[in-house]
This record gives sequence, C-alpha cells and structure tokens, in this order.
Amino acid sequence: MDSAIQISNLTKVFKGRGLGKNGLKALDDVSFELEQGIIFGLLGPNGAGKTTLIKILLGIVFPTSGSAEIQGEDIANYKVRKKIGYLPENHKFPNYLTGEDVIVYYAKLNGFNIDKNSPRISEILQLVKMDKWRKTKIKKYSKGMLQRLGLAQAIIHNPEIIFLDEPTDGVDPIGRKEIRDILVELKKKGKSIFINSHLLSEVELVSDKVAILDKGKLVKFGTVDELTIDKQICEIKTEVEINDDQFEILRSIFEVQRNKNILTLSINSNSDLNNFMDELRKLSINITNVNQKRTSLEDLFINSLSNS
Amino acid sequence: MENIITISNLTVREALSRKIIITFFAISTFVIIIFALLFSLVTFEDFSGMVNANGKDPINLASEIVKGLKLFVVAPLFGGGLFLAIFSASSFIPNMLEKGTVDLLISKPISRAQIILGKFIGGVLIVLINIAYLIIILWFLIGIKFGIWDTDFLYSILTITFTFSALYSLIILIGILTQSSVLAMMLSYLIFFVLSPILAARETIAAFLKSSLMESVMDILYYIIPKTSELGTLTSEIALGYSIDEFQPIISTSLFLILVLYISIIIFSKKDY
Repeated sequence: MDSAIQISNLTKVFKGRGLGKNGLKALDDVSFELEQGIIFGLLGPNGAGKTTLIKILLGIVFPTSGSAEIQGEDIANYKVRKKIGYLPENHKFPNYLTGEDVIVYYAKLNGFNIDKNSPRISEILQLVKMDKWRKTKIKKYSKGMLQRLGLAQAIIHNPEIIFLDEPTDGVDPIGRKEIRDILVELKKKGKSIFINSHLLSEVELVSDKVAILDKGKLVKFGTVDELTIDKQICEIKTEVEINDDQFEILRSIFEVQRNKNILTLSINSNSDLNNFMDELRKLSINITNVNQKRTSLEDLFINSLSNS
Repeated sequence: MENIITISNLTVREALSRKIIITFFAISTFVIIIFALLFSLVTFEDFSGMVNANGKDPINLASEIVKGLKLFVVAPLFGGGLFLAIFSASSFIPNMLEKGTVDLLISKPISRAQIILGKFIGGVLIVLINIAYLIIILWFLIGIKFGIWDTDFLYSILTITFTFSALYSLIILIGILTQSSVLAMMLSYLIFFVLSPILAARETIAAFLKSSLMESVMDILYYIIPKTSELGTLTSEIALGYSIDEFQPIISTSLFLILVLYISIIIFSKKDY
C-alpha cells in the first residue's frame, strides 16, 4: 500500500526566550510511516508533542531536524497541502461570515473554486448536519456547531489526508457518533485520517493504527490489535464449569485461574496453549471459545506512560 | 494570484465588518451630501461673493473657487482619512495571527508571502475604495457645478492611498513582530503626526540646535522614515493642479514600503505558529 505520511527522525526544539534559558525539546527523533486509507490516532498527555507533530506536517511549525513527506512529496513544498484537510483545536473562523461563506472561503484557499450555489456546499453541510444554519452568521453558532463546520471546511475540497485535532471537542454524544460515522465513511473512500484526541475510547473505536507520544518521544506505534492484544494471556471458555479436582490437575501443570466456566491462562508460547488444550481434552472438558486477552487503549496508554 | 485575491477579499470584508470603516464611509457620504446641498442651494454668484473677485473674469474666478473647495476636501481627508484608516487596519495582522486562525490559514496550500501580500492588498484596497468614493463623487459634483473637469483632483486618490500603503507596511511588520495592534497603531501615528512633520522641517530645527550630530541623525531618519508630511503637501499641490517638482519623497517612501514589506514576508515565512 502507498505511503500517506512518512516521518523520518523529526526533532523540534523550541528556542528558550531570554539569556540562559534552555530550549524545549517538543519532538525527539520521531519516525513512523502511515499507509493510505487508514484512521490513525495520535495519543499522548498534554505537552507530549502531538500538536507540534501535526503542525510540522502542515507547515505551521518548522522542524529543527528530520524530514517528512506527504504522499511522497516533501512537506516543505506548500503545494503539497492541497491534498490535506485540517481541523485545528480551538479554531477561529471570521465571525462576520456565515456558515456557507466560511466553506466557500476555505475551499478557495484550498484551490477549490466554488461559489455559494455549488451543490458541493449543500452536500458537505448536509453531511455534517449544518445545512439548516448555512446562512446564519457564525458568531451565533455553538461550540458543537463550529466543530461541525470545522469538519466541513476540512473536507470540502475532497482531500486525501485529513488532520483532525480534537474533532469531537464540544460535540454531544450523538454528534460524536455522527462524526465517527463520517470518518468511517471517509476511510471507505480511501482517505487517510490523522486524529489527535484525548478521548481514548473514541480513538479506539475508529482507529486502525495508533501512536503514543510522551515527552516528544514515540513510545508505542502499531495497529490497535497489535498494541491491545495481550499475547501472554488467554481466556478459555468451557462448556460447563470445571470441578475442583480437574482444576487442581490443571493448576499443577499450568499457571491458570478459574472464574466459573472461564479459565485464564498465562502462556509463554503457542505450544503452552496447545498443551493446555490437550490436557482439557484428556479431562473430557469441552471448549466453547478461546480468546487472547485484550487490554483497553486507556490501559495501554497509562502503562506506556508509566514505563517511559 | 487567486490565493492573494481570496485573502484580499476577506480582508476587505473584515474591514467592512468594522464600525470604524463604516464610520469612514458615513463621514464621506455626509461630506458628499453637504457638497450636493451646497451646490444646489448656492449660486455661482454667491460663491463669487465669498471670495475676493477683484474684477477677475468668471473662468478664473470659477477656477479659484474650485481650488479652494479641493483644498477644503483634500487636506482634512489626508489627515482624518489616514487617521481612521490606520486605526482600522492596525488589527488586521494581530487578528490573523491569533491561535486557531493563523494555523488554519497556513495549513492551506498558500505560501506565506501570498498571505502577507493578500493582507496588504486587501487593506490598501479598502482605503482606496473609501477615498475614491469621496473624491470621485466630489469631482463629479464640482464638474457639474463649475464646468471644470480637470483630473488633477483625482490624482489625490493615489497619493493618499500611497501614503497609507507605506504606513500599512509598517503596521504589518509590527503586527508580525509583536502581534500588537496598539503598538502598530501608535508607531504609525508617531511617524504620521510627529516624526515626519519634524523631519520635514529638519533644516530649520538643525539651525536652532546648532549640533552637527543632531543634524546627521535627523538626516538619516529623514531618508529612512516614510515622508508622510511631504506627501501631504504633495497631495494638496497635485489637487490644485501644480506639477510635481521633487520625486524624492515618493521614491524614498516607495523604497521604504518595498523593504518593510519584504522584511515582513521574510520574518513571517520563518516563524513558527
């Protein structure tokens, strides 16, 4: 699959102000690559460097060292941003404009020349459920409405890669679900989506890949499954609850715990799991389900930060 | 070019959303109405009575009256109009540099130079429209009333707008450096109302001070700072139909404008937001 974003050894040091002030290393040698057509979640505590990373990719902040490419083109070339849609955190649109004015203005800045009567405007405003307020001045909009409008301006020009910084901030639960659905739809159309959010459960719901940044360093990177499936723990569901004698036999051989008809087994390799299954069969215990234990993204996040 | 036009358009709309520009238009409209009423109610003979006719022929007399009227419009317009224009334009850049606005703007496929040029052209355009609105309609009214259609008066649109553009380039630079509209405004007013008039009279002042050091300092400052005072005088002279004898204030102010705008673009292009 083609690469959507390629980041190589990105480092950003913000210069300290005043004499004797040390600089702040916001990003420390960050490298990763994202393929096209996936939803990517960037996680990290406040001050981890998430926004700095997004801003570097968008040309808002310049890297101290390292490089990055968007679909094979160097980010230093501003024209590459034609392929990008961006919804910043706490965005501010000119409040003397109406909703449709905002969309037309940012579409034009993206090189997408449309006017207020363009069907594309109606289509996109309907998608984010803002068509009803298109002629209202945005100074009358609520935070949630502004967020929906922000999403609309980020996708009006049909970009290949969409950067969303806290996209559901200020949006009610139904609105969040709607935004998630839009993101999934965009992904189906082959778009790459780069989400920076504090809401880990939401990121987990939609993301294919995640990265965790802490103190400017990349501490985890991979697919959600790779990172959340604990390969060392298996849960085995049996048809009936095993008796104490059977459990004692198993416990003498394996590191296993029992909770009604669910057995939690710690393994070092797949052969351990196979041996355990053989033992269950010897004891005439029928298995109904085998699962590798999954940790939540939130647990992973907290563990990663405490270990880093 | 399309990006520059889009940003210019938004700058014009931003200006029109401000009460100060609406006030500027309202004052201009008020002046136009006053002139229209004056011309409809006062006859040429009444005007002749207001000036010292001294047996002048009617054509010369009309010309004298028109010159007086032009001066009556241009001099306050240069001072008052630019005062309002600077006040209005001083927040364009600090507003653009607010978090949440600048990042969205830079994330678009536009070069930073285009952003600054768009802001510059938009700001100059709104002042040009405002000044042109007043001058062209007054020129038309004067033409109808006195039958004098010389276009000298119209050139004052260009000189006033040019003076504003030089000060606006400084407003842009200060805005980028400090994100402060107040500082940008104060510095522009300082040049417009204090430094430039003082430096225009530097030879007289130097004669009083009798200090060669002060004389040199004032000479250097004179050639660096935009010559708004001379441009004001030039505007009045052009409006009255006099030819331009000295181009130095225009050339040095043009160089100031280009240099300051260039520095603004360089600094803006290197800054993190």
